[in-house]
Amino acid sequence: MPERSGSKEAGKPTVLDWLSRRLRLTEIFSLLSSYGFYPAEVDTRKPLAEALSEAGSKPWPSYARWPRVLSLIVIALLMVEFITGSLMALYYLPTPESAYASTGAILREVDFGQLIRQIHFWGAQALLFVLIARVVRLFARRAYGPPRELLWVFAVLLMFVGFHLELTGRALPMTASGYWSAVRALEIVQSVPILGPATLSVLGADGTFISDVALIRFYLLHAAVLPLLAVALVYLHFSTLRTVGISARSTEQLVPGDSASRLHLANIAILLHVALGVLISLAVLATIPFDPPADPTVTVPGIGPPWYLLAPFGFLEWTANVLPRWAGGLVLFLGFALFVSLPSWDRSPKRSRTMSALLASVFLVLWLALSWYGARVA
Amino acid sequence: MMRPFAPAVVVCLTLFVALPAAAEERESCGTCHPASRVDFEGSIHAREEVTCSDCHGGDPRTLDVDEAHRGKFRSWKDRLTTPLLCAECHSDLERMRAYNLPGDQLAVYQTSQHGRSNAAGDRRAAVCTDCHGGHGILAPGDPASSVHPRNIQETCAACHADPDLTAAYDLDSSVVDDYRNSVHGRALLDEGNAAAPDCTSCHGVHGAAPPGFGDVDKVCGFCHAQTRRAFREGPHYQAMLAADLPECASCHSNHAISQFEADALSGICLECHGEDSTQAQLGRVFQTSISAAAAELDRAAELVQQGERRALDVEDYLARLEGARTALTEAPPASHAVLREPVEELTRRARSIGEEVQRELYAKLNRRPAHIGLAFFWFYLLTAIAILWVYRRQLERER
Repeated sequence: MPERSGSKEAGKPTVLDWLSRRLRLTEIFSLLSSYGFYPAEVDTRKPLAEALSEAGSKPWPSYARWPRVLSLIVIALLMVEFITGSLMALYYLPTPESAYASTGAILREVDFGQLIRQIHFWGAQALLFVLIARVVRLFARRAYGPPRELLWVFAVLLMFVGFHLELTGRALPMTASGYWSAVRALEIVQSVPILGPATLSVLGADGTFISDVALIRFYLLHAAVLPLLAVALVYLHFSTLRTVGISARSTEQLVPGDSASRLHLANIAILLHVALGVLISLAVLATIPFDPPADPTVTVPGIGPPWYLLAPFGFLEWTANVLPRWAGGLVLFLGFALFVSLPSWDRSPKRSRTMSALLASVFLVLWLALSWYGARVA
Repeated sequence: MMRPFAPAVVVCLTLFVALPAAAEERESCGTCHPASRVDFEGSIHAREEVTCSDCHGGDPRTLDVDEAHRGKFRSWKDRLTTPLLCAECHSDLERMRAYNLPGDQLAVYQTSQHGRSNAAGDRRAAVCTDCHGGHGILAPGDPASSVHPRNIQETCAACHADPDLTAAYDLDSSVVDDYRNSVHGRALLDEGNAAAPDCTSCHGVHGAAPPGFGDVDKVCGFCHAQTRRAFREGPHYQAMLAADLPECASCHSNHAISQFEADALSGICLECHGEDSTQAQLGRVFQTSISAAAAELDRAAELVQQGERRALDVEDYLARLEGARTALTEAPPASHAVLREPVEELTRRARSIGEEVQRELYAKLNRRPAHIGLAFFWFYLLTAIAILWVYRRQLERER
């Protein structure tokens, strides 16, 4: 930035100068900017200040313009989840005997424990909502044709990882509702031939109960494996986005200049303020209850799978009389595989935007109808 | 060459002679009575090595029908002598000592209604085998036994729910059904509460007889000791004895005893006392104070549940409510003394604990600091957003 280069010219070494002699600051900035905080390309061979002033003078892609910075909320929410999750991990004990009691202790004895858990919960729901909305938007805008195939694949995989993050998290406190809805979800996984039972055996859960081995594996997935995967996918998603743009119209570019980056930062700051406000309001006003502890020997009736799995659950229940369970599972798996590989088979001549939006609506309505049915039979 | 075979020959010869001898030692009754033998082999008697001939006599070693049924053979066909035959062992105190069984069952039986009828020559009166079974007798603690506490009502029902048989003795055939639907029957049969009474708990086991007038409160008081104490202190006890009314059963009935319901309390008083009487008024006071305390405790319990779901520490409240419930549980027994103070004291204690728990939980559940904090947070957010928005507009104008 000009101020910084100015200070350098004046001969007063700054902390940044000190650091840049020891670290590849531009590369670090470039890596961080791949998460969407800075949409322009930075030349990693140049010192940070120089690279930034050069990037600021280049035209910016249109997707960096308001309100498309919304996608940034993904990384913001992931950060909120990391922070609140890490704080809870300081006290949480992942054994069937202590999981419930330690969660209770977090809520009762740790300062702001209740608020942190509520933020973690609502942050997760918001994250899933944003990830789903992003996939729906890419589908409706048909933003998966060449060269944006990977943009789609990464978005769908990110959504899938998001589901698993929520699912593994919901079993951890060993509350009755969390435990049994996780069991319901595992029943869906189990219905997929070969892959389902194999996954469950890796998890140490056999689809009817979550054992002590499964709990520690769920914890490992929830606290280490899946978050790393999510961070990697967000990086891949944003770097693809930076390379290929979101649509043909991304050739519209912002007027170059230093004010572009300031405008972008102002947008981000407003967005984060609103997001944080909504999240904390939900956490304070719509507190989720702390249910009684789970008893693996007593099935609690009326608990279905998590909301995002209600549609596959509804499908399995709906076809239960027509198809054997494994066939229903196979259909689900093939449906998912087709969905991920959408760019490879939907190569029809460009549809109108209305048509794509209509298809997306039909898909959404079908999904909602199956979810409604799933919720009713649960 | 023959020498190695010599021991084998000796063994074979020995077996040839010894096996039939061993077979003779075994009882051969089961050859002609296979069903009885199967029944008997599962019984407690078979396990304790009692044999057919111990009860039936005869010669069990022969397969000849006449030989087998000769000598001291007893067919047990005469129901009048059945108790005496069982008593041959069961009144033998030395023999019973090892099993820790009482040796006075025959004597006790003879005091019972069944025993008296039997002694009077009534062949329909229940004898040992009617309740315990014949060959397949099981220990009373065995869940499959006909005299196990959970099964005894069915065993009694075999005669006492038989309309023809009960009519012959001028008895009520609905007693077993009444019991099954009573608070006692449901507790034992539906809820599996082993402490709940079965037929024998009130009527006795071998000495089964209906409790006589003047004894009802003793029978009920065996479990309901506090109620009995209060009842004896109150005016009803002497009055009922004078009027030849069965004490507890006058208000509660005998077999169809229902669960205590506070709301029905004052109605019971009206069965004998006038609506405007002081007794009926007292009944209404009891009803109101018990119902009010129960409602207060229910509300408190609901709040405790809400607190639990909000992860509040409710252990202390649960303990206090338990204490309050104990006080409230003591109120209906205390009401049998028909005195206002003890009942009001107990219900007041229960109610005040309930109110206290509610007050404290209300304060915790509706704590406002979080909401006030949220309001301050939004004040900061809106100010920050406004400043950012103005800054943004400025930047856009510059462009």
